[in-house]
Amino acid sequence: MWSVIAQFALVAPHLARIPVWVIGVYLFAALWRSMVYRGRWSFPGRMLKLALIVTSFISLYLSYGTFLGLEPTVALLLIGFALKLIELAQRKDAYVLLFLGYFVCVTEFLFSQDLLIVFYSMFTVLLLTTALLALHQPQQHKFNPRTIRLAGIMLLQAFPLMVVLFFLFPRIGPLWTVPLKSQAAKTGVSDFMRPGDISRLSQSSEVAFRVQFEGAIPNASQLYWRGLVFSKLEDGAWRSLDYYEVPATERRQKQPELVGDEIRYDIIMEPTQQGWLYGLRHAESNRSKVMSTADFRLYSPVVLEDEYHYTVESWPDAVLESELSQWRRKTELAVPRGSNPETLALAKELRLQHKNDRDLVNAILKKFNEEEYVYTLEPPLLGEQAMDEFLFQTRRGFCEHYAYAFTLLARAAGIPARVVAGYQGGEVNPVNKTIIVHQFDAHAWTEVWLEGEGWVRVDPTAAVSPDRIEWGLERAVATEGSFLSDSPLSLLNFRSVVWVNNLRLRYDALTWQWQSWIVGYDAETQYTVLQNWFGEISARKFVIVLLGSWAIVLIPVGIWLLTKRPVKAISKLDKYYLTYCDKLGKRGLSRAMGETPGNYAVRAKRKFPGSASEIDRINGLYAQLSYQDKTPESGTQLLTEFKRGVQRLKI
Amino acid sequence: MSDMRELQGALEAAVSEVGKVVLGKEPQIRLALCCLFARGHLLIEDLPGMGKTTLSQALAKVLGLDYKRVQFTSDLMPADILGVSIFDRRESVFNFHPGPIFTQLLLADEINRTTPRTQSALLEAMAEGQVTIEGETRALPNPFFVIATQNPIDQSGTYPLPESQLDRFLMRLELGYPHPRAEREMFERQHHLDTERVNLKQRIDASQLEQIRQAVTQVHASASVLDYLQRLVAYTRQAPEFAVGLSPRGALAILQCAKTWALMNNRGHLVPEDIQMVLPAVTAHRLIPGGDYAGDSLALVVQMQSNVDVVRP
Repeated sequence: MWSVIAQFALVAPHLARIPVWVIGVYLFAALWRSMVYRGRWSFPGRMLKLALIVTSFISLYLSYGTFLGLEPTVALLLIGFALKLIELAQRKDAYVLLFLGYFVCVTEFLFSQDLLIVFYSMFTVLLLTTALLALHQPQQHKFNPRTIRLAGIMLLQAFPLMVVLFFLFPRIGPLWTVPLKSQAAKTGVSDFMRPGDISRLSQSSEVAFRVQFEGAIPNASQLYWRGLVFSKLEDGAWRSLDYYEVPATERRQKQPELVGDEIRYDIIMEPTQQGWLYGLRHAESNRSKVMSTADFRLYSPVVLEDEYHYTVESWPDAVLESELSQWRRKTELAVPRGSNPETLALAKELRLQHKNDRDLVNAILKKFNEEEYVYTLEPPLLGEQAMDEFLFQTRRGFCEHYAYAFTLLARAAGIPARVVAGYQGGEVNPVNKTIIVHQFDAHAWTEVWLEGEGWVRVDPTAAVSPDRIEWGLERAVATEGSFLSDSPLSLLNFRSVVWVNNLRLRYDALTWQWQSWIVGYDAETQYTVLQNWFGEISARKFVIVLLGSWAIVLIPVGIWLLTKRPVKAISKLDKYYLTYCDKLGKRGLSRAMGETPGNYAVRAKRKFPGSASEIDRINGLYAQLSYQDKTPESGTQLLTEFKRGVQRLKI
Repeated sequence: MSDMRELQGALEAAVSEVGKVVLGKEPQIRLALCCLFARGHLLIEDLPGMGKTTLSQALAKVLGLDYKRVQFTSDLMPADILGVSIFDRRESVFNFHPGPIFTQLLLADEINRTTPRTQSALLEAMAEGQVTIEGETRALPNPFFVIATQNPIDQSGTYPLPESQLDRFLMRLELGYPHPRAEREMFERQHHLDTERVNLKQRIDASQLEQIRQAVTQVHASASVLDYLQRLVAYTRQAPEFAVGLSPRGALAILQCAKTWALMNNRGHLVPEDIQMVLPAVTAHRLIPGGDYAGDSLALVVQMQSNVDVVRP
């Protein structure tokens, strides 16, 4: 009974991910099981089982098109888990089912490490443990609701050990890898940008990352989270440079001079299935796994499949690339030939009017600001000559349109420029002073290189819609009613309801704690923590600490368990007798548990005929003291005699 | 003490007397006597032809008890055992004609061949020591013993006794196949055995029986032995191999039999061996194998014996 409950609880979180027919298999198996239980149906035959297995495999292949990857394997596990139910004939099978259950419970974490999932999993572990316990109780076929209490107590006893193991047990790298999440969509900003890409992203209310500043939170208009730099315009789309497109000499970052005040902050990224990380300009991270690129981005060589925690230091005033290399200048000035002729013409015209680069930039921004350009989440589709259409006809666009147009104009006018993509702004959570950056905060802006100033951030969107930068997207498109129109159920839509919003922010604050302490606790942090506590780490020290902490945790639990149980006192007589048994035991003749003293003595005499009389005497005294009706005074006397006899016994 | 020696002699004589017709089964004979001395009813269970009836007949003769034998069949009615009142035309009264149960030792042969109704009439009489017929309560003679025999329940055409009624029997014995040597002797002395069966002599009389029963109450059980007994009982209640543990009545039964056994071995106090000797016979039919341990509860009792420490708590 418990096991069936536990099983359904385990499968519940997987529901959204597995094909519908797998759920059918579950219901079918549960039905069959209950029929077997009632004695109406019998267990499936060998051929039927084989057929079920083959069908499952085929269906799985048809559903996913492959057996590799995380989802199909998990689905396979779940099917096996379901089918095992109709094979549940003996206690052994129940063990298999329940231990498989623990495993299924772990697979849930491959998909999400959310706090709610953790609580839910604890609950399923409780159910599983209860089922395991129920298996060992008398009248196991009856449903006993008190079993869950016992299971809860047992898990609580195990909890301290879990904490210690979590913090101290070495993080061992995987011995093999499976292609994880083949089907999972990559979320967030992608590595190329076409007009319309970011406005699509802005419909999502998912969290991209959370930030916690060490000092005061900078003004929202300063929060430009750089993620990607697009230097290449190809076929109407902006792309970042591939590794091989950059000559070897240009691959290393030119370390800028770190001047001005620094900002320190922690970022925890949600999984993106991509490698780039976000940071304010100019960012450097102390984490060994975070790399910096030549275009001043942060990058993780490992794809982010889980929440990722890193610490960043930023110098907003640092000058980036005060001198531009020949190659870099050429790259950042490249304009595809033959497209957008009107735009290129406009650039030439502007160049004639403004000799100074700075003036030219301002002129473009002024054009966006003063002419009738509209900032909208629902820009019209653009044709072949996208920028000509946008600049001179539609004049409606989202941030990527403006960034595209600006960069193209600047490049055509001979100013090195590039598009930067990332996020802008974020929601301040008053509960714990973190900043929550959502997908709808995705943004694209530009950087131009000016003589003596290096790369300077220019945001053409700010010229069109200053609200977007100061107050965020929602306010900027408020009149349109298009904000989050695709996700009506998102909690963010209910921000006007005070308590819902408070709850959401509190939960988010909790998520930050959870992610920074538990999810982000990997081998590296572990090493640092241990080093802080115990100094230089050696294998020997590590083992001592590990075992010592186990002992510290287990000894109180052990003491508690032992003191709870009434300790049965052993009488002096029996103690001496057991000494005698030990003596014989050392000579290879130990007493069996159910062996009476008399029988033992007979065996002993046969084995050690030399000591027969002593054994006889000891055994006789023991029988007399232990079993006969005796007077107290002769008792003590006999006891001393018995003790002496045992002590003198030599074989 | 001279009494004790005399009793001991009578006892040994009784054992050897029964041994004349039931060859090579001395432990079972002793246990059977122990059961009767402990004022309990005895159930002998084995396949047909293993000497169940012979043993019970011999016991009755050796104890010199007035005995009757009822062969249980599927159409036997309660009145056939208990007795019936018959109307006497001449005197115009009902005269009670006592049934075979009014005897000192009743041999209930193949008790599981009869219907539950008749079984329960017998078992009730066994428990109460009296029978109530047509509203009148009649005491049964003292001593009153029942030796019932039964075939293992998986034989067809039987009504197995329910566990609650098995509990009424102090001991259940299985005879088992005889030792080859004993069997050979049986072949060789076949005709001789028949005459011996008829000529068995009484070895223990009623007063000696009463003496033994009195002496049993004097047997000393030390704390250490009682601890051991309690450990055994606790084991049956906790271990997963038993669905239901021993009842206090079952535990008392062990103690009573063990004391009798001690006396039969001429000892005034209990030792663990006494308990171990009587344990399988007293407990096997009271324990129900639990869960996955379906099978022979006798084997489980033997296993339990080796799992419970005699000395260490």
